[in-house]
Amino acid sequence: MNRLQKRAWIELAGVAFCVAGAGAELAVLVRLNASGTGHLIILLTVGLTAGLFGYLHNLSEQKKLDERERKIAQKALALACFVFAVFCGCSSFIFFFTVGGAGKVPVYTLPAVFLGGIFVAQFTQSAAILIQFAREQGDE
Amino acid sequence: MSSEHIINHVRKLRFDNGQITQQQLADRVGVTRQTIIAIESGKYSPSLPLAFKLARTFGVPIEKVFQYEDTDNPLHEILKTEP
Repeated sequence: MNRLQKRAWIELAGVAFCVAGAGAELAVLVRLNASGTGHLIILLTVGLTAGLFGYLHNLSEQKKLDERERKIAQKALALACFVFAVFCGCSSFIFFFTVGGAGKVPVYTLPAVFLGGIFVAQFTQSAAILIQFAREQGDE
Repeated sequence: MSSEHIINHVRKLRFDNGQITQQQLADRVGVTRQTIIAIESGKYSPSLPLAFKLARTFGVPIEKVFQYEDTDNPLHEILKTEP
């Protein structure tokens, strides 16, 4: 197993852990019926910190990869972005058609869809990396 | 569909140059051993900078390492048979 394959597994586990944590946090906030700018500031701070950490981590990891691995990672990322867009789009339309255009859905479904999208996208990215390597090794 | 591909002589050149291992070659050009394996088996076509690095490592011109084969080209068979 090379660096990129290890990274795929670690990132999948990391994102699964973070999504589970964020899901639990969301459940607590829903139960408390949390609202107000105080929560919004905390959310933005956590979101920006996680985003910055993820970006810097990705930059440092990219430098360690060779050109072929980078190409595999880029293909996987492009697929993950596509899947994220399709997941969010489909989720929106599923609500539209199941509840009806004039219907109502709980507010927490929006962040839940977003968290679900992040998990599905990361799963796709990791799976795409592992499948590309597996196909190469299978051909050998 | 165009039937074109790049053939390479990396494996042969490795053995011609003191039987250097895939790992040694990978270290010299700054890639992983898996990338060398993929290049040798024709599954991956390297970028121009990597192709030049490989050629320079073997001390030969790039066209001695990689050759472009376009079988749709009507001149292909003629060029192939030329000495």
